[in-house]
Amino acid sequence: MSTWISVARYQLTDRYTFVTGPWTILGLDFLITAAIVLGYPGRNGQVYAGALSAIYVYLVVTGALGIARQLPFALALGVSRRAFYAGTTLLAAAIAAVYALGLTVLQLIERATGGWGLKLHFFRVPYLLSGPWYLSWLTSFVGLALMLAWGMWFGIVYRRWNLPGLLGFIAAQAVAVALVLVIIGGADAWSSAGRFFKALTVEGLTGLLAVLAVALLAGGYATVRRLTV
Amino acid sequence: MTPAISVAGLSRRYRGQLALDNVSFDIGSGSITGLLGRNGAGKTTLLRIIAGHEFASAGSVRVLGARPVENDHVLRQMVFVREDQAYPDFRVGKAVQAASWFYPNWSHERAGALLEEFRLPLNRKIKKLSRGMRSALGIVIGLAARAEITLFDEPYAGLDPVARQIFYDWLLADYAEHPRTVLLSTHLIDEAAGLLERVMVIDRGQIVLNSGTDELRGGATSVSGPAIAVAEFTSGRPVWNRRRVAAQESAVVAGALDEADRARAAALHLHLEPLTLQQLVVHAVGSPEPPARERTSA
Repeated sequence: MSTWISVARYQLTDRYTFVTGPWTILGLDFLITAAIVLGYPGRNGQVYAGALSAIYVYLVVTGALGIARQLPFALALGVSRRAFYAGTTLLAAAIAAVYALGLTVLQLIERATGGWGLKLHFFRVPYLLSGPWYLSWLTSFVGLALMLAWGMWFGIVYRRWNLPGLLGFIAAQAVAVALVLVIIGGADAWSSAGRFFKALTVEGLTGLLAVLAVALLAGGYATVRRLTV
Repeated sequence: MTPAISVAGLSRRYRGQLALDNVSFDIGSGSITGLLGRNGAGKTTLLRIIAGHEFASAGSVRVLGARPVENDHVLRQMVFVREDQAYPDFRVGKAVQAASWFYPNWSHERAGALLEEFRLPLNRKIKKLSRGMRSALGIVIGLAARAEITLFDEPYAGLDPVARQIFYDWLLADYAEHPRTVLLSTHLIDEAAGLLERVMVIDRGQIVLNSGTDELRGGATSVSGPAIAVAEFTSGRPVWNRRRVAAQESAVVAGALDEADRARAAALHLHLEPLTLQQLVVHAVGSPEPPARERTSA
């Protein structure tokens, strides 16, 4: 366990990847969105941005870079693959929890200020992030953790098989998604799939995403175990 | 007592190419062993497998009595300094600090002193360092970690002679205070000879020589002088190789020489010179192509 914490600390030394990067992107994104809203003040009603996704996308990069850059030196320092992965997962969970809290606080401020005085819905997302604060936190946490886990798997695949592996990995995911679509189509199940997603609550969706995140973590672990440096 | 590193029947195959071929040896704890051999002989592969960075195709590796692969208990007591180490986007100071988190016996004092001796700028990014400075950084980490198993793979590529001497001096000084098991691969054999208690020579994936350095010293002697006298002196002795230029000949005689031999050589006006470790190693991996046509081999 103490090695896991050392690994988490070691990973966190890369502040640009883990801290500065995501929040700089989000901050710039927010400024641009606010500037656009300020430039078109004539619109009636509420403004929905959807630009919050930037931080989620960035965390995929964070997960991938963190693993790919820091793994070889950690192994040289006598860290096992397992301990390295566990420590990185620990840090990813902590980051997802804290950043979700940040997003939740910003959401509360946004609510209290009437959308920053611009009727802007940046941190409030209809359906996904519109419930009570704790639910917003939970959904954000699971979503951020999912992105980090996905990125970590990308980073491990890159370390193990380089660029060809990365391309193969992306192709495999595309094929998997296509297969699911084909199966749904083949079973003539589009309407029931539609009903399922229509009936899905945010809590339910959060649960599904959590299952997916755990599956991605397991995939990353299976890949890191036979990695060589 | 269990050996610190025990390798038995180890092979590693890469797509039909045998990088390690049935390698077996034991290294006792508290020793400095040199791993010698030509480029591509299998030194790095062997060290990577010992460190658990690479997997064996066959055979077993035991470090401190257990398999090292994914074994936290063993790996926590190991440091592996590689010539081709990929560092994160760190500054020198950060890399040293981060390394210190993983070693309970880490010596901040030693790390600081070494950084100063090597004149490493703490604030410089590792990727901006010269080759020699990167090597120096690896050496700082490898020595300050004070890990029970310390593996150095070509630790001084690009290092200047002064810095190499610093490495030898500090390795010996620190080793005397904190004995551990050091396995060091190098091409600078004679330079490192003073450090090494044991040498293992690996060639084409096989161990071709594994011996204490004391036993090796004087194990072969170069005899040179008039060809007739050399022929007389060497008759009946195992001769590794002969070189003849006009009436002068030089031959390498295997086995130790005694006082009577020396007296006889002096009477014959022959010049005797013990082979250096490096020459012994060159012999062990096979001599280079003959430079002169007169040369014959026995």
